[in-house]
Amino acid sequence: MECSFALTGKGYVLIAADTTAARSIVKMKIDEDKIKSLGPHLLMAYSGEPGDTTQFAEYIERNIRLYQIRNLYPLRPPSAASWIRRALADSLRSRKPYSVNLLLGGYDTSNHTPSLYWIDYLGTQAEVPFACHGYGSYFALSLLDRYHDPEANLEEGLAVLRRCIDEVSKRLVVSPGKYRVKVVDKDGIREIEF
Amino acid sequence: MSRSYDRALTVFSPDGHLFQVEYANEAVRRGTCAVGVRGKDIVVLGVEKKSVLQLQDPRTVRKVVMLDDHICLAFAGLTADGRVLIDKARMECQSHRLTVEDPVTVEYITRHIAGIQQRYTQSGGVRPFGISTLIVGFDPHDTRPRLYMTEPSGIYSAWKANAIGRSSKTVREFLEKNHKDDLTREETIKLTIKSLLEVVQTGAKNIEISVMESYGKVTALDLSQIEAIVQEIEREKEAEAERKRSRLAATAAGQAAMSSRAGDAAQPSGQQ
Amino acid sequence: MARRYDSRTTIFSPEGRLYQIEYAMEAISHAGTVLGLLAKDGVVLAAEKKVTGKLLDMSGAKEGGYGGSGEKIFLLNSNVIAGVAGITADANSLVNYARTAAQRHLFTYNEDIPVEMLAQRLCDMKQGYTQFGGLRPFGVSLLYAGYDPHYEFQLYHSDPSGNYSGWKATCIGANNGTAQSLLKQEYKDDITVEEAIGLVLRVMSKTMDSTTLGSEKLEFAVLTLDRNTKLPKAKIYKPAEIDALLQQHDLGKKDEDTEMGSA
Repeated sequence: MECSFALTGKGYVLIAADTTAARSIVKMKIDEDKIKSLGPHLLMAYSGEPGDTTQFAEYIERNIRLYQIRNLYPLRPPSAASWIRRALADSLRSRKPYSVNLLLGGYDTSNHTPSLYWIDYLGTQAEVPFACHGYGSYFALSLLDRYHDPEANLEEGLAVLRRCIDEVSKRLVVSPGKYRVKVVDKDGIREIEF
Repeated sequence: MSRSYDRALTVFSPDGHLFQVEYANEAVRRGTCAVGVRGKDIVVLGVEKKSVLQLQDPRTVRKVVMLDDHICLAFAGLTADGRVLIDKARMECQSHRLTVEDPVTVEYITRHIAGIQQRYTQSGGVRPFGISTLIVGFDPHDTRPRLYMTEPSGIYSAWKANAIGRSSKTVREFLEKNHKDDLTREETIKLTIKSLLEVVQTGAKNIEISVMESYGKVTALDLSQIEAIVQEIEREKEAEAERKRSRLAATAAGQAAMSSRAGDAAQPSGQQ
Repeated sequence: MARRYDSRTTIFSPEGRLYQIEYAMEAISHAGTVLGLLAKDGVVLAAEKKVTGKLLDMSGAKEGGYGGSGEKIFLLNSNVIAGVAGITADANSLVNYARTAAQRHLFTYNEDIPVEMLAQRLCDMKQGYTQFGGLRPFGVSLLYAGYDPHYEFQLYHSDPSGNYSGWKATCIGANNGTAQSLLKQEYKDDITVEEAIGLVLRVMSKTMDSTTLGSEKLEFAVLTLDRNTKLPKAKIYKPAEIDALLQQHDLGKKDEDTEMGSA
């Protein structure tokens, strides 16, 4: 089942999401990328109802891009999070709401701080030091409580992430096989071989 | 009563003119000059930049803008109209990506912009956009540079090189004389600057150059680079003038020698 | 001939000009002066009030008017103040629009609206009034002084056509030419707010018609960062504060004047 994790460290945000596309109990695909780059310093991991996820993520992507082209600077992460939350909340109150859960990680270049937002399909938003969506959260949150360090460097952050993923693989009946990991920091976004 | 024909926009005058559209073209001619030149695998936009006043912030004076990663636009005419039209075009670029997952082609966005401009010549109670645009870029998965122009009437057309705005006729004639197919990067940039110098007397500091080399790769030349090219052009012009002068002098000297050899023959030969 | 293209709505004249806009700008060049100056740690706005009279009830203005705003200088959002020159009624409706736009931005993005974007919002509206039928342009120019994290302190000017541009120091309204040239001479790039206040008052005293400055003819505002919170803080001066400020810079009414007045 779908799992996504994210955590902040010293000057970066790490985001990991599984790569399984499933329908009912059948895996259709095991190399799906569920983390979108919304700008030079903004990442969004999405999970939930298939179809809704892609549709919503692309809508968000294009609108955030439009903002950047119009204003020559990108939306800052807190503003992007607020706007995305609003989009979800408006959708929730429409005839056919999107059922999408999000993790939004960004690096604010104007004050040099990384930030992470947890947003669920009901339009709940919280700024957090670490976050998970899916069944993985039952195992990962307690590990992150114990091991997360906001001042950790990238290697240490990756080690904590590894712990979470290993624990999920060990304990969860329907654990996903592979993950994609991306990091955002002052230099922008890159994928990490995991 | 000729006067009633140029008030209401949607009607023709008896001799078949749409006056407001023609007057909008005048507004374009009052704007600063913009030039677009297509090379072999490069396309260059050059604009005449009004001198920024001493206390003005140059960041806010924009004549060349990006519509999307791969499309660049320059306009001449009313700045406020330009801003509004550009905003509509930018929105369409993203909307197109969202609906068909592909970036717009240069022709598509040109047609879209021209379409908006056309609507404003026909629908009731609005005046046309007082701007012409030059649109350059590369289509996705293609290496050919593109250059289009739109006008207040809603006409759009593809060009190898063209100019809009103040003295655009002079510049266009210059380009017609000097443009060749398959220009290299350096030649294209130089031709753009050279053509702008036909109308910009104040040189490099009032010229802005944007170069697009491939899909999404746009660079603006900085002042020192433009200055260097302007100087090079001036040197060439001088050398050319020098050559002409020495050739004239040579012929004059030759003729002088001839006439002196003619000696007592009283016929002055300078006038032949 | 010119009259054929200068009435009713905004349409092109045969030379491609929009007379309505040019006339609107003409109206503004007779309006009370508004002057803005960008310093490295703040922005200063000053405006000349034209509506004066012995019987004018100024008691409302004592507290700085509604929302701390006066007749010429308005608080548009917590990070932007604006000075207006032109038709006051038009200005009021633009100010209202700007405040709504700023709040709408706060609502969707949970951040103060960037200054340039607010200027753009207003300019889009102004432009619309020059293009759509049956409307006359807004007869208002504005100076926007604001702060946002993208470009920090900023000063913009917008005119009736819907054009805008950024400035280090500029002036609109009556005598703006004189003020501009004075500013050009005296402006330094690393000027502080304190120095800027002095310069603004000096220039205003030279451009305004009256011989002495006083709170009944002058409005004054400063936008700086709060020392503790590091957030933008707009201060629109109250009449008493303006008089105190003028005294401090030796530009206020001399004592003899008041004596003469009371005699």
